[in-house]
Amino acid sequence: MTESPLELTPLFHVGPVAITSPVITTWGIMAAMLAFCLLTTRNLQLRPGKVQALLELVVGAIDHQAEEVIRRDPAPFRAVVGTIFLFILLANWSALLPGVEPPTARLETDAALALIVLAASGYFGVRLRGTRGYLKSFAQPTWAMIPLNIVEQITRTFSLVVRLFGNIMSGVFVIGIVLSLAGLFVPIPLMALELLSGTVQAYIFAILACVFIATAVSGDDAPAETSSKHGSTS
Amino acid sequence: MHIDWWTLALQTINLLVLVWILSRFLFRPIADIVRQRQAAADELLEKAEAQRQQAEEEEKQAEAAQKAAEKARGNVLQDAGREAESEKAQILADARKQADDLRAAVEAEIERRRKAEQAKIGEQAGALAVEIATKLFTRLPDSAKIDGFVQGLAEAVAKLPGQARDEIGADGAAVTVLAARKMSDAEVASCRDALSGALGREVSVSVKVDPALIAGLEIELPHAAVRNSFHADLDRIATELAGHAEA
Repeated sequence: MTESPLELTPLFHVGPVAITSPVITTWGIMAAMLAFCLLTTRNLQLRPGKVQALLELVVGAIDHQAEEVIRRDPAPFRAVVGTIFLFILLANWSALLPGVEPPTARLETDAALALIVLAASGYFGVRLRGTRGYLKSFAQPTWAMIPLNIVEQITRTFSLVVRLFGNIMSGVFVIGIVLSLAGLFVPIPLMALELLSGTVQAYIFAILACVFIATAVSGDDAPAETSSKHGSTS
Repeated sequence: MHIDWWTLALQTINLLVLVWILSRFLFRPIADIVRQRQAAADELLEKAEAQRQQAEEEEKQAEAAQKAAEKARGNVLQDAGREAESEKAQILADARKQADDLRAAVEAEIERRRKAEQAKIGEQAGALAVEIATKLFTRLPDSAKIDGFVQGLAEAVAKLPGQARDEIGADGAAVTVLAARKMSDAEVASCRDALSGALGREVSVSVKVDPALIAGLEIELPHAAVRNSFHADLDRIATELAGHAEA
């Protein structure tokens, strides 16, 4: 019987914990990002170099998008939204490396991302509106909507998981099938297309995370904040 | 479809760790440096604004100082103008006064010289008149130099105040009569009779000759004199001429 390509095969075990390839790839991405951050941010200057200017451009773009969607000072949300965007982007692009399967092509990674978005929306909702205010948002517009709002929280989390998983996994499968049928260099256009698709998916996931957070923190009982771009640390 | 829960848990932990890593080593340093740059830019802008305001303030002060200097200059010029005008008026007044004084002095000097000249001319005219009269009277006969004056002398004596008349021939002393020439006995007697008649008492007469009288008789008293001679008349004429000349 042929094994399902969606099944994960543990590479090794650490005690009872099975270590799979998405975890290993994620560790690699994390190590690369940590090394890059340490190298590039250890000597920041008021007059930025090219790399610093690029980093500031990326961070500024993330702040701008988060502020546009959430309509608040983006500093508190920068870490979550930025990390989600950068991780998904690099994870999707990791497919370019030979023998590497992007972690986002696995359901567990996407589910972990969606869980973090769900937890972040709850965290920021409670932090900015208070527990009572956040829970009251489930009773909008009427108490009868409480079950539906709870279901909405679950379904939209699932939609995040399924959207990212379906897009990335399908791309990996298509490239794998074409590679097995046509030859070594034929899938290159598809891989380029997958780069674009990975970028778009990272952007969509991050924007949807902002939308969910904005839904959680918006309301009459939420304290107004003055927007101050790049003005405070996360 | 199977979900590996260990992988899900590990990926969740991995992502949370990644959130911390990026927050600590990427987003926070970048945000810090951007904030520092913004603060530096704000500081520069504030300094520039402060310098601009200071420059404007200094410009205003300079303008005020310039206006004050112009005003002071105007005041100084105005004061100097007034002072010069006053000094000019003073100088003109002094000059005018000096000119007036000088003119008055000159006019006074001219007047004085004119009067002196007139007096001199008067004196010369008087002297000339006296000289002419003297020459004319020398041609008169000797009898005319005495006879015509006896009666006049007696009338003059009669007009004297009482005390002056009492002094004439008092205590029996002879009355000294000055004559232009030596008088004859008849003339002396005539003179004595005339004087006795004028005084109302008998007096004696002694005669002293004084040719300077030209013609006529005179009596010298201790406190008065009775003159009835050409010499006295010419003196009065010369005095009158001199007085007219001075006037």
